[in-house]
Amino acid sequence: MDDRRRRFELQVLPHLDAAYRFARWLARSPEDADDVVQEAMLRAYRGFDALRGSDVKAWLLTIVKNCHLTALTQQQRRGTVPLPDEHDAQDEQALIATGPDPESATVSQDQERTLERLVSALPDPYREALILREIEDLDYREIAAVTNVPLGTVMSRLARARAALKKQWLQQVEGEPHAVP
Amino acid sequence: MLCPESLRVQAYFDDQMDAVTAADIEGHMGNCARCRALLQDLQQLRTAMRQELPYAQTPPALRARIMRALDQESVTETRQAQRQGRTNWRTGSFWAGAGSGLGVAALAATLAVLFFAPLLRTPVVDELVGAHVNSLLSTHLIDVVSTDRHTVKPWFAGHTDVSPVVADFDPQGYKLVGGRVDYLQHQRAAVVVYQHGQHVINVFSWAATERSAPNNVTRNGYHLAFWKVGDLEYCAVSDTGWDELLGLVRLLQGVSAREASE
Repeated sequence: MDDRRRRFELQVLPHLDAAYRFARWLARSPEDADDVVQEAMLRAYRGFDALRGSDVKAWLLTIVKNCHLTALTQQQRRGTVPLPDEHDAQDEQALIATGPDPESATVSQDQERTLERLVSALPDPYREALILREIEDLDYREIAAVTNVPLGTVMSRLARARAALKKQWLQQVEGEPHAVP
Repeated sequence: MLCPESLRVQAYFDDQMDAVTAADIEGHMGNCARCRALLQDLQQLRTAMRQELPYAQTPPALRARIMRALDQESVTETRQAQRQGRTNWRTGSFWAGAGSGLGVAALAATLAVLFFAPLLRTPVVDELVGAHVNSLLSTHLIDVVSTDRHTVKPWFAGHTDVSPVVADFDPQGYKLVGGRVDYLQHQRAAVVVYQHGQHVINVFSWAATERSAPNNVTRNGYHLAFWKVGDLEYCAVSDTGWDELLGLVRLLQGVSAREASE
């Protein structure tokens, strides 16, 4: 095995499972996720020489995210699925504090839903940030890099995603509102 | 209603603050019941997510597909390098021209390998390479750490379906470092782990299922040397050179022969 391939297998391949999990949360079907991961690993291998520093996981997940977007655009061009629209409010902190949850419309109120289904139902930008934080354990800076948004947006997305989930899930588990009035 | 400090409480929870700011927000939470409740909610949600959400692993079939794609990518790069090499040689001397002929031969050989490789693939080789790579990448290199064969060999008796030859060849440069169990060929295979310089050599052994051992082969840069002793099949896998790998194989075969004659 040549040296480059060996370094790739030692540095990047350990994050394959993270790439796969992330792709599963992003893509619309397991088959789409498989294709996204494979394409991402190939792109990562081709671009491996440009990788500097130790932030390999965030780097790989960024490529996964980009491959996912490319695949979505191609599907859209073929007229199969629409792109999800991005709707970040300008003053998000105020929105969390006073307004109704924007997720209320998209997250089903169905009491039988499991946490997994609740997370799946979050709008893409919120789900992404939350998964990268809670499951993949990325820090804010890394999440900002992967999702290509400013740090402040990462923080507000996390807050909104968590607030929405808390409302949907904790209340359901405990049978009563949790927050202190 | 959330406290205006809620984003800072979240950042504190996510461990994104320096010590001074963290102390500051802790002071605030001492006085703010809403923020204390928020922190509790965040913790509950995290615990639930980490417990309940699926933590998927790459399916083996997809992993294999990706490794094959990487193999092809490596070959493509080699071919491109060779093509560039030929272009440069064209301006050179007669001998360089002869060299480019070798380049073409190498290209032809590469293509032949590409063409025939799928026919030569046997599942056991894929399994062995996968097991070897996994052992290097994960923390699961060694289950029983010992340089003493009298420790490793009995350990296998309780954990695997086979009893392979185990010996330390430290003086010859092959240091016994331990043993491991891998699931291979639908059996609990014994793996004896040796260290040779910087290289790890995994020696797999399992109850033979076929009459003859596969031929030695190189896959993904790893050499695989197969041999059979009685009804046990062995395979030594490593990225060392062939000579070094076969050196260990000969030593192990020697021990088997001595054990058989005793």
